[in-house]
Amino acid sequence: MRRLQARHYTFLGLAVVITVTMLLNIRLDTRVSPYTRALHDYIESLPPGSVLMVSFDHEASSLPEIRPIARSVLRHAFRKGHRLIGVSLLAEGTLIGYRLMQETAAEYGRQYGSDYVYLGFRPQYIAAILAMGESIRDTYPRDYLGRPYDQFELLRSVENYDDVAAVLSIADGSLTTHWMEYGQARYGVVVLGAVTAAMATTYDPYLASAQMHAMMAGLRGAAEYEKLIGIGGGGARGMLAQSSAHLYVILLIVLGNVAYFVRRREGRRD
Amino acid sequence: MDAGTIVAGLLTLAILSFLYRDNPVYKLAEYLLIGVSIGYILVITWNNTLMALLFEPLLSEGRLWLVAPLIMGLLMWGRFHRRTLALSRIPIGFMIGSGAGVAIPAMLYGRTLKQMSATVMPLTDSSGVPDLAAIVVIAGVLTTLAYFYFSREHRGAFGGVARVGTFFLMVFFGTTFGYTVMSRMSTFIGRMEFLLTDFLRLTH
Amino acid sequence: MARKFPLAVCFLFGVVMFLQYFSQHEAARAVNQAILDYWQIVFAFTLILGVFSFARNNVTEVRRGRDRVYRIVGLAGLLSMPVLALIWGIKADTPFMWMFENVQAPMQSTVFALLAIFVASASFRGFRARSLPAAVLLISATVMLLSRSNIGGFFSDVLPDVANWIRDYPSMAARRAILIGIGLGSLTTSLRVMVGIERTWLGGEK
Repeated sequence: MRRLQARHYTFLGLAVVITVTMLLNIRLDTRVSPYTRALHDYIESLPPGSVLMVSFDHEASSLPEIRPIARSVLRHAFRKGHRLIGVSLLAEGTLIGYRLMQETAAEYGRQYGSDYVYLGFRPQYIAAILAMGESIRDTYPRDYLGRPYDQFELLRSVENYDDVAAVLSIADGSLTTHWMEYGQARYGVVVLGAVTAAMATTYDPYLASAQMHAMMAGLRGAAEYEKLIGIGGGGARGMLAQSSAHLYVILLIVLGNVAYFVRRREGRRD
Repeated sequence: MDAGTIVAGLLTLAILSFLYRDNPVYKLAEYLLIGVSIGYILVITWNNTLMALLFEPLLSEGRLWLVAPLIMGLLMWGRFHRRTLALSRIPIGFMIGSGAGVAIPAMLYGRTLKQMSATVMPLTDSSGVPDLAAIVVIAGVLTTLAYFYFSREHRGAFGGVARVGTFFLMVFFGTTFGYTVMSRMSTFIGRMEFLLTDFLRLTH
Repeated sequence: MARKFPLAVCFLFGVVMFLQYFSQHEAARAVNQAILDYWQIVFAFTLILGVFSFARNNVTEVRRGRDRVYRIVGLAGLLSMPVLALIWGIKADTPFMWMFENVQAPMQSTVFALLAIFVASASFRGFRARSLPAAVLLISATVMLLSRSNIGGFFSDVLPDVANWIRDYPSMAARRAILIGIGLGSLTTSLRVMVGIERTWLGGEK
């Protein structure tokens, strides 16, 4: 067996911190940020029955972070009585979106075809976003399972973005950018974002320029959203572990810098 | 415990074994992941896209004009042989050209002009009190742009302006790093939650 | 001809897609929709091409005996998905979905989760306040992390507002400048591609 190195101890430390905090199973109260509140308030302000397009623009790799984010917004939208059209512009988001929409719709007794429809994947996201601006029916002549577009009551009244209140892009990358630069700029569709924390700062200029109407980000964002809608979930469950992991990283940064400055001082003395 | 949880748990541990060092179990899991992912893309693209957008309308509804993208799609396969390589450039030209055509207005209007116009805000309120946020934004945008302007040497007053831009960039990088740490930790927590709750059943 | 014709195709479709942006005429919108549909179909073929290329390379490597067991496992994984989809379909609760949810998604997210560990390691080994700009980066990152932790007191009451201000103004301003730079760069690159000045996409061969 090889000797353990410094990096192995760093790994073990993180694993121990997260395991212990998860076993403690304590729920922390979370202060809601203005970003998350804006998204919640927008969805809340729409009249029941509004059509929202939910685009699953992410891969399976970010699923642990995306799932609580997506589930909290979907729960809110279904509970409020909005009608949802699911699409996916990344192949891996397709099955995740399909499963999440089915599960969440079932929680609120929503019916496929009249309350929600899942259209599935389209490759080349720029072409897909622009094409839906002309006609969603032509872009998706069939739903995810191959049934004709006009078979569904919900879709019969939806031709393009003019009939959609907003597009919610659930993303782990920069795909939401295209919703704003092509969908919003050209067809005027309202764009909302529910993204991983790593992407939050990427979208800040779009929020400031009002190209993106509202955005929530990360597991913390999910915890905040869960608090706003009063339904517990993966976000709130992970908050103690998340906060502890942040403190662990800060501790590592401090230790690393102390070691660096001590060494530098010793080097000068020598 | 169902079979799916057992399989997912064992494969999760196989991937985590890389933290100790590269090993055959990790490598097997890695190759399996690549294979399954590519098989998945094949199924989704064929079933959900090509059948719906091309083959069913072409074969069942007789939309013969769809022969054009079918031919272009097949020309892509010319890449596999030296003698037919040139044919594959036609569909690539179509995609690149279309992409460039739609990108010009999007980049000009959807990105550059919209971001520029959002930067130009009043620097004081109605009573003449300076708006710190607006000043910071315009200073940040201009000095950062100056930092990226390489047609002039970063010396003298211009160098000073560019140096201020460096600090704005560092704030952005630090903010992004902080949020990236949060994201990565969330993913790790999600996997640990699966292992502890679903696989090992140590917590609820 | 092998280069001129694709360049002409590129120019033609570039101009058409650029011009249709400025028209709301029914014919222009129909052309727009048709080209966008074609674009998606051709792109889908490129994905299938990638799958075939992967399979071909791996079969070749298996024949040569390089990493044979691993590559066979990879190929078996590749074959399993279309076979399962062909027999049972792609609905929820089919073997295809089972494979995605219990094999692909857990492994893929765990690979991604490994980054958390490397980020922690990098924080200890590489994140040093060697200069003033580096110190600014470090402080900004630390403020963000603290502000998004539920510690209570000052860290939960005051710091989030400070962190939000940093994110909304100085950080956003730098990101906006980067966006404007990328926007202008993409704009000129698109123009160069369209008019045939930028030809690297043709590849090096005749």
